[in-house]
Amino acid sequence: MKHWIRKAAVSTALVATVMLTGPASAQGDGIYVPNLSYRTGPFASTGTPLMNGQRDYITMLNERDGGLNGTKLVYDECETGYNTEKGVECYEKTKANAVVTQPWSTGITLQVLPKSNVDNIPILAPGYGFSAMADGKVFQWAYNPPSSYWDGAYMILQDISGGDLTTLNGKKIAFLHLDHPFGKEPLPLLEKLSAEHGFELVPIPVGLTEMQNQSAQWLQIRRERPDNVIMWGWGAMNAGAMTEAAKTKYPMDQFYGVWWSGHDGDLKLIGEQGKGYRSISWSVPNSESSLMQDIKKHVIDAGKSQINQGEGEFDSVFYQRGVMISLMLVEGIRAAQEEFDTQNPDAEQVRWGLENITLDEARLAELGAEGMLVPFSTSCADHTGHGGGWILEWDGSKFVKASDLLKADRDVIRPLEEEKAKEYAEANAPWPVNEECSM
Amino acid sequence: MFYRTAGQFKTSYEADHALFPVRQDAYLLGFILLLAFVVFPLTASEFAFRALLIPVLIYSLAALGLNILTGYAGQLSLGTGAFMGVGAYACYKLLTIFPEMNIVIAIAMSGFFSAAVGVLFGLPSLRIKGFYLAIATLAAQFFLVWLFQKWAWLYNYNASGAIQVPNIEMFGITVAGPRAEAITQYYFVLCFVCAMTFFAINITRGRIGRMWKAVRDMDIAAELVGINLMRAKLTAFFVSSYIVGVSGALFVFLWRGAAEANLFDIPLSFRVLFIAIIGGLGSILGNYLGAILIVALPVIIGSVPEAFGIPIGSATVEHLNVMLVGALIITFLIVEPHGLARFWAMIREKLILWPFPH
Repeated sequence: MKHWIRKAAVSTALVATVMLTGPASAQGDGIYVPNLSYRTGPFASTGTPLMNGQRDYITMLNERDGGLNGTKLVYDECETGYNTEKGVECYEKTKANAVVTQPWSTGITLQVLPKSNVDNIPILAPGYGFSAMADGKVFQWAYNPPSSYWDGAYMILQDISGGDLTTLNGKKIAFLHLDHPFGKEPLPLLEKLSAEHGFELVPIPVGLTEMQNQSAQWLQIRRERPDNVIMWGWGAMNAGAMTEAAKTKYPMDQFYGVWWSGHDGDLKLIGEQGKGYRSISWSVPNSESSLMQDIKKHVIDAGKSQINQGEGEFDSVFYQRGVMISLMLVEGIRAAQEEFDTQNPDAEQVRWGLENITLDEARLAELGAEGMLVPFSTSCADHTGHGGGWILEWDGSKFVKASDLLKADRDVIRPLEEEKAKEYAEANAPWPVNEECSM
Repeated sequence: MFYRTAGQFKTSYEADHALFPVRQDAYLLGFILLLAFVVFPLTASEFAFRALLIPVLIYSLAALGLNILTGYAGQLSLGTGAFMGVGAYACYKLLTIFPEMNIVIAIAMSGFFSAAVGVLFGLPSLRIKGFYLAIATLAAQFFLVWLFQKWAWLYNYNASGAIQVPNIEMFGITVAGPRAEAITQYYFVLCFVCAMTFFAINITRGRIGRMWKAVRDMDIAAELVGINLMRAKLTAFFVSSYIVGVSGALFVFLWRGAAEANLFDIPLSFRVLFIAIIGGLGSILGNYLGAILIVALPVIIGSVPEAFGIPIGSATVEHLNVMLVGALIITFLIVEPHGLARFWAMIREKLILWPFPH
């Protein structure tokens, strides 16, 4: 008994010391790029391909080029399960040596955002998070390239109206969304546009607990007979909506989703019945591009990837979008390396780099990712880039590009962004603003 | 040897009923307080404060609140998470309506709001008990979370529907909000939790506590000896919800920094209930032990492979972690169904007899 107690006490003390003095994070030599992943929990089905894509791009750079300009990139994941509490824990755990943090959920982004000014770590939230983060003067440390949710909502309306929003007058549009900060994000813009252009907006919230059983919501949709349904869904909610829409025989060509609602896995559940479903996207999969072929050669065939090869994950929208997210991050780090003439840029320098990404068509072609990502560039005032997006259409077995590049009307959205950014800064006073930025 | 009680004579009833009849208990408490107030702040990293120490303290306080209701007064409740939410939203509204208000006062006052709501939902306990009451409090859980979502006034009509904690200063030091230092927040929470614990220990030892225990053990007998059942049950709901509300305000303002309505959903209630049950119902110490097991242990286990340089994917660590903590909970409950507090009590008894067990 005595020995047992002593042993337990000693080992507890040991672990406690290790914990209290701070976890030894996986750093070593190289640039530390942590990612708050979610390969478990209700959103794992969409999180896993994204994380795999992000991981594989960085592994490919390390394998093919020996890192970025000769410096290895150290990719690390901390599992959150899309749980905000775990997310904050992971953020604290990884922030010490990180040059960037990727919170991977609107909820976690909202928690981390106010701390970014204090901890001085740039937040990269590609295509998610708070839309007003586009205002770089106010949100010095937050980035959501290449398009914000408000851009996305506007582009969907553009596609519905055939390019002219005034034709929406008198129409009825249902907005099926997750009842969560993420789902409510486009509401201010949609409300504004509905008042301006005279269409009726019917917001239909889906609670987190009823994601997989949306019969009540679809009953309402059937009763309301909207001209279009726009879905702001995520994870298990998409699959639920797809099966319900197929069951109620809702015309798929009137059904639109945000970029997180265009997951191959969800559409495969209904296959042919989902033909005509459209989702806005700022990335298009292209497995034949030289970039993807390099990943196949250096990572997947070398057995260094975690992807599920049998299920066609390699060709999926989300896997290749994960690749594009890492590509944007690496371009930011590369810009920082060049500007400050250093192999190991720190967080402050990477912040500058993310502000000066230029991914035009020429640069994308150079990287072997032609047409896979909307061309955009960021500046100190514009942290989103507003590259626009394409419509992807489900053809019964895969997503295909079905439109030219759409671009949101910035003159409509910018005032709203400035207003919300100002509100945020006032609510979180004292909030430092980038005075030097004059653009 | 460690717990030799020989030579400690009690010569008055007062001495016999003191908080620490055995001197070594007071030493042990002094040692723990020394650790909490001096040693941890000197050695802990920011991660340890934010992921281990502060959440353990806040969850212990929430479990303490539930334990008063369930462990001492015998009223089952599944609404803890929602009552925490009431405290948090009340504190948010108080501080946004009266920005000049001292945060200590705001947190202390927010407890009264959840106490009022707690008493309201405690009214059914006068007619029903056991599982039936648990279902009634479950209704509180659903209703309140729905209210937090729908009543936009509660979150000041924020577009995201979440409440955000602004920077709050007290005597020139930022104690809450993104600019606050982890160590300041830790001391703030620690002082609050110590004060509440002291209050809870004394109330459960005194007249009101004995009244609750009588109701818990057999309410009809309690009524026959002249205990006012209504008053006993409602005071239990009041005190319990007050503590839970304060813990909810601390949860959001001193730790999380932002919260949405879903945070206060059933999983939070269950988590607090698990802490109370595994720690030991009807004990104060148990809440702390339970919180360490449920809140801190997963964080520690999750960091072990990394600290020793074992290469396992973070998702795998998470899965292993869930299995390990689950297995530990089952093991503890098999070894000692009355919780960790009882486990410690047995060790203590053995230590008093040691080295001559009988």
